[in-house]
Amino acid sequence: MLRKLTPYLFVLPLMLFIAVFTYIPIVTSVDLSFRQWDFMSADKPFVGFDNYRVLFRSDAFWNSLWVTTVFAVISVPIRLGLALWFASALTRETFARRILRGALFLPSVTSTVSIAVVFSWVFATDFGMMNGLLGVVGIDKVRWMQNPDLALGVLIFINTWKQLGYDVVIYIAGLQAIPQELYDAAAVDGGKKAHVFRRVTFPLVMPTTYFLLVISVIEAFQVFTLVDVMTRGGPAGATDLLVNRLYQIGFTLFDIGQGSALAVLLFVLLVGLAVFKSRVLGRRVHYEA
Amino acid sequence: MKPDNPILSGLALVAGLLFLSPVLYSIWMSFQTSTAYYTGTVHFTLVNYEVAVGQYNFARYLFNSIIVSGAVTVIGTVFATMAAFAFARFTFPGNNLLFAATVATLMIPSHISLIPNYLTLADAGLLDTYAGLILPAISNGFAAFFLRQYIRGIPRALDEAAYMDGATPMKVLWRVIVPIAKPAILSMGLYIFIGEWNNYIWPLVATSRENLYTLQVGLAHLYRLNPGEGLIDWPLVMAASTISLLPVILGFVLVERHLIRGITMGAVK
Repeated sequence: MLRKLTPYLFVLPLMLFIAVFTYIPIVTSVDLSFRQWDFMSADKPFVGFDNYRVLFRSDAFWNSLWVTTVFAVISVPIRLGLALWFASALTRETFARRILRGALFLPSVTSTVSIAVVFSWVFATDFGMMNGLLGVVGIDKVRWMQNPDLALGVLIFINTWKQLGYDVVIYIAGLQAIPQELYDAAAVDGGKKAHVFRRVTFPLVMPTTYFLLVISVIEAFQVFTLVDVMTRGGPAGATDLLVNRLYQIGFTLFDIGQGSALAVLLFVLLVGLAVFKSRVLGRRVHYEA
Repeated sequence: MKPDNPILSGLALVAGLLFLSPVLYSIWMSFQTSTAYYTGTVHFTLVNYEVAVGQYNFARYLFNSIIVSGAVTVIGTVFATMAAFAFARFTFPGNNLLFAATVATLMIPSHISLIPNYLTLADAGLLDTYAGLILPAISNGFAAFFLRQYIRGIPRALDEAAYMDGATPMKVLWRVIVPIAKPAILSMGLYIFIGEWNNYIWPLVATSRENLYTLQVGLAHLYRLNPGEGLIDWPLVMAASTISLLPVILGFVLVERHLIRGITMGAVK
């Protein structure tokens, strides 16, 4: 009897925490999204799809969805393009390449709050690094974070800077999995560098690209810390990404119903993407075999 | 590792430094007085650290971050290892289902649980406590998944020999599996630690009492206390930022390889 219970005892602690803090909350969120509540009142009346309706009618929600989409659509291709370029240059293990790889990778493990603070200085109007450098070539001070047209771009820049090394490391692993014979064959055929890249490297690293594409889109839809520390969604909603909207609705407006509705939408969107990813990854295993 | 062309090495070093220059400069800046910074002179000082620790309680935040990240790492790693052992070594009804439920957590965006977890901990009276900061972060599906794959690669004959000698499953895990899987377990522990050290949104919502702030929340708070362009005491803010960055940077320098192995194994294989 005890023997049969043994494996359950080993998985119990983990499963208990997963249930309480991951699975039950999904159900709770769905339930709360159909209720009206402000954290305080004793009752939470059922209001059907009202919260969703209010959300869909609010400009702030659509703005936020738009801003997040723009963020993803601009930042992801830049990240992947740069990462593949760096990774191709850094695949072979040498001392110099290790240094550069380490430098690129470091930001991806450091605190986003610190990075947000450091880059707030970089892009500060007065005494900031960027305007200091521009001043040297005679360009007037730019109000980076106060200008709605620039602020999102700055956040994209910082996020790219932070995540690039992660992408590079994954790409390096992907590139190293490509059999050397293919390159040797291409060399025998006298392939030019660009040609080899287009015909050998790029198609064979495609599964890695799919993987990175999907996870970086998922990540782009979850960016919060940079926004909260640097702009709080401003100026004029220009950087109001979805999780910031969720936080504002839930924890500053205390509209739990609407906040939960937004959380449920985000969940559906991201799980959809993740399922898509595992399908693609499934194909990738097939691809290798 | 091949020796390199010294010119190439030099160029790589310069490129790396340039890439990291904002962070490196922020660390340098943290040792300047603010008047020296704004007037462009150089004057090495520790005064910003004294202010951050003395006036702004950063020693307490550091302590909180160590307690919270430490507890999450230790408990999280132990739970993940135990579950991984069961998933890898026992056939029992529900094994596949529970494992699938564990792996599926990787797809679930954590923000769906933000409001419910806040309510759960409020109901339990655990907001503004260490437990409230620690508990929601303990389960780590990725670590359990990763360690299961690793343990499956360890020959079963080793377990069986130990069972022959009358060992209990707990002993087999502790005496056979853990010593062999140590590098993987350490990788995962590190990964959990860094993730928790840098965690921001949960400590932000789960703490309202200042003396429970973690470094990240404390730093964001200090930065906001200094609003208004040009009025910010950048060297002070950078000292606080450095306190939050340095442990991870130092750890990174020591164990970069383990970290890279952890993320690439999860993503590529």
